[in-house]
Amino acid sequence: MPDVAYAALFLALAVSVYAGVVYVIGARSGNAERIASARNAVFAVFILMTVAEAIMIAALFGRDFRIEYVANYTDRSLSFFYTLSAIWAGNRGSLLFWAWVLSGCSALMVFQKREVARDMVPYAAAVAMFTQVFFLLLLVSVSNPFARLPFTPADGAGLNPLLENPGMFIHPPTQLIGYIGFTVPFAFAVAALITGNLGDDWIRASRRWTLISWTILGIGNMAGSWWAYYVLGWGGYWAWDPVENAGLLPWLVSTAFLHSAMMQRRRGILKQWNMVLIILTFVLSIFGTFLTRSGVLGSVHSFAESALGPFFVAFMAVSLVIPLVLLIYRGTSLKGEAEIESAISRESTFLLNNLLLVSATFAVFLGTVFPLISEAVTGAKITVGPPFFNQVLTPIFLGIIFLTGICTMIGWRRASVKNLVRNFIVPVAATLLLVAVLFVSGVQAWYALLAVGLCVFVLFSITYEWLRGARARHRTQGENYIKAFFSLLMANRPRYGGYIVHVGIMVMALGMIGMSFADGKEVTLRTGESVNLNSYTLTYRALDRIETQSKVLFTTTLAVQNQGKPIGLIIPEKYFHRVHTQPVTVAAVRSTLLEDLYVILINWEEDGASASFKIMANPLVNWMWIGMAVLVLGALVAFWPERQKLPRPPREAGEKK
Amino acid sequence: MKRKWKFFIGGLVVVAALGYLGYQGFIASAAYQYELGEYLAQPGIDASQNVQVAGQVATGSIEQKSFDLKFTMTDGVNNMVVVYQGTVPDSFRAGGEVVVAGRRDPASGVFEATQVMPKCASKYVAE
Repeated sequence: MPDVAYAALFLALAVSVYAGVVYVIGARSGNAERIASARNAVFAVFILMTVAEAIMIAALFGRDFRIEYVANYTDRSLSFFYTLSAIWAGNRGSLLFWAWVLSGCSALMVFQKREVARDMVPYAAAVAMFTQVFFLLLLVSVSNPFARLPFTPADGAGLNPLLENPGMFIHPPTQLIGYIGFTVPFAFAVAALITGNLGDDWIRASRRWTLISWTILGIGNMAGSWWAYYVLGWGGYWAWDPVENAGLLPWLVSTAFLHSAMMQRRRGILKQWNMVLIILTFVLSIFGTFLTRSGVLGSVHSFAESALGPFFVAFMAVSLVIPLVLLIYRGTSLKGEAEIESAISRESTFLLNNLLLVSATFAVFLGTVFPLISEAVTGAKITVGPPFFNQVLTPIFLGIIFLTGICTMIGWRRASVKNLVRNFIVPVAATLLLVAVLFVSGVQAWYALLAVGLCVFVLFSITYEWLRGARARHRTQGENYIKAFFSLLMANRPRYGGYIVHVGIMVMALGMIGMSFADGKEVTLRTGESVNLNSYTLTYRALDRIETQSKVLFTTTLAVQNQGKPIGLIIPEKYFHRVHTQPVTVAAVRSTLLEDLYVILINWEEDGASASFKIMANPLVNWMWIGMAVLVLGALVAFWPERQKLPRPPREAGEKK
Repeated sequence: MKRKWKFFIGGLVVVAALGYLGYQGFIASAAYQYELGEYLAQPGIDASQNVQVAGQVATGSIEQKSFDLKFTMTDGVNNMVVVYQGTVPDSFRAGGEVVVAGRRDPASGVFEATQVMPKCASKYVAE
C-alpha cells in the first residue's frame, strides 16, 4: 500500500503540472475544451491526494510500523482520537495534510458557481496548482511520508504524551487549514494581476475564503493558547515562542486585509495595498508552515542543513517576487478611484488600523527572525524576549481597540464633528461612568483602567449603534425591539457579523488584560500545612501514587477555602508515561468567570510528606475562550451566504472617477 | 496633495513612536545566544553582555528538590552544570534541547540560570 500511495503522489504531481499549464494555455487561447480538461485534472489531483491521505490514515490505524512515519508517531496503545492526530503530529504528515487540503480547496474553487470573476478562475486555479506542485515536490523527494524503515519494529515510538490533549487535537489542523485557505484569495489576486481585471472582482470572489481562513486560523491560535495554559503547565498562555508567532503573523496581516478590502469595495481606494496585503498573508502562511515544521530558527547552521529549507525559501521568494513584479507592471491601472477626503472619516480610521496591524506584524516578524538575521549578518546570534514584544505590541493593540470603537461611528468620506459628538457622547459617558465605578471599587492601576475602559468603550459603542438601528426600525416598521434587533442583523449580515466579531475580540482582550494581572506564588507545603493567595487558603492533604497500564500518576489533594469558606478540593497531578520520559503536568483549575485558581504540582518527596506547588490566581481567563466563541459566531454570521444576491454596495456619490 | 502629506506625516509619527518603543524593548531584552561549546570557550563573556546558552539536557542529570533544579547541559563534548530556581514547562526533559539565560559563576563554573527555556515539544522536527 505505501507504494500505491507514493505512486498516487507522483501521479498527482504530474497531473497538477498538467492542470496548471493547460489552464494557462487554455485561458490564453480562449479554448474552452482545454479549460474543461484542466478543470477535470484539478478534480483528479484531489482524488489522488485523497487516496494518498486515506492510505496514510489506514496505515496509522493499522499500525503499519514498516512506514517510518507511522512508527515515529503511533504505538499500539494509542487511542482512536490521538491516532487521528498522528496525521498531523509530524512534519511529513502535516505536509501531506497540507497538500491534501489544498487539493480539496482547489477542487472546490473551480467547482463553485460564480457570477463574478469567471475569467480569473483558470489563472487562479493555475496558481493553486503551482502551489500544489511545490508541496508535492517536497512529498516525493525530501519529505516522503511513506518512506519505509529497513526493518519492521515491534512497536512504534508513540505520540508525545504532551500532544495527547483535545487542544492539540484541534490546534494543528485548524492552524494548517487556516494557512492553506489563504491560497485561494492569493490565487485570485494573482489572477487579477495577470488578467488585468483589476476591479473588486477578485476580492468579491474570494471574500468568503478569506473570512473562513481567518476564522479558522484564529481558532488554531487560540486552541494553541488553550493547550499551553492547561497542559504545558507553566501558568501562561502565550510566550512569544517563534512557533506561536508564526501563527499570529498571517492572522494579523489578513485582519488588515479584511478591513482594507472593505475600503476598496466601498470607495475604490487602496487597490495596490490590498494586493500587497494578500501576497504577504500567503507568504507568511507558507513561512508559518515552514517555521513550525522545520526547526530552522535553531540557527543558521540548522537552516543550512535542513533539506526543506532551500525549497521553502525558493518558493517563498517566487510567491513574493512574481506577484510584486506583476503589481509594479500593472502600476497605473491600480490607481485608486478616489482620494481620502478628510482626516475625520471612516477611511482614515481604517488607514490607521491598517498601519497599526502591519506595524504589529512587522514587529512580531522582526522579533521572531532577529536571531537568524543577526547571526547571518554579524555572526553573533542575538535574541529578543517577551519584553520587546510586549512593549511594542501593547500600545498597538490598545490603539487598534480604540479605533474599533470609533470607526463604526464615523461616516465614510467626511464626517461632521457635530455628528461625531452626537454619536459618541452616550458611549463615552457610559464608559467614564463604568471606569469611575471600577476605580471606586478598588481597581486603581491606571493601565487596567485605560485598557478596560477602551474595551468597554467599544462594547458600548457597538451596542449603542445597534440599539439606534433597532429604534429606527421600531419607529418606521413598528417591529418590537427584539425583532428589530434581529432583523437588522439579518438585513446586513456582513456588517453585524463584523460587529459580533468585534465584540468577541473585546471580550478576549478583557481576558488578556485580566491575565496580565495574574498573581502567583511557588510554595513547598508539608502535610497539613496551608498557604494563602489573595482570598484563597490552600491546605495540602495527601499525595497518591497510582499505576495504570500506560502510566504512573501522582496526584495531590489540597483543600481550598475562599474567604474562610471551604469550597472543595483541588487535585493537581503529574504523570509519567511508561514509554516516554516526558512528564505531563495536569493543572488543577477551579474556574469561575471572574478568576481561575490554578495549581500545578511541581515536585514532591517520595513519601508525600511534602510537595511543591505553583499556585496562581488568574483573573478573567475564561473570557478569552468565551470571546473566541463569540468571534466564531460573528464570523459565521458574516460568512453565511445571503439568501438573495444583494446589489453591489454603491460607491458613495460624488466620487472622482 | 496637502492632505496626502498630512496622512504621510501622521503615519510617520506613529511609526517613529513604535520604533522607539521597539528599540527600548530591544535594549531591555536582547541577549546573545551561544552554543555551549562557543560559550565555554570564552570565559567571562557574560560579565559584559546578557547571554543565553543552547544545548541539551544530559540524560539522567536532572535533580529536583522542591523548586531547586539542577541539571547538566551538554553538547556531546562539553558539559556545564546549570542551577535554577523555579518552575519549568513539561517540555523540559532529559535529552531535550534547552536554552538557558543567566550567568556563570566564575569560581565554581556553575551556570546560574534566571530562565530555562526548553524547545517546544516535538513540534520542531529538524529535517
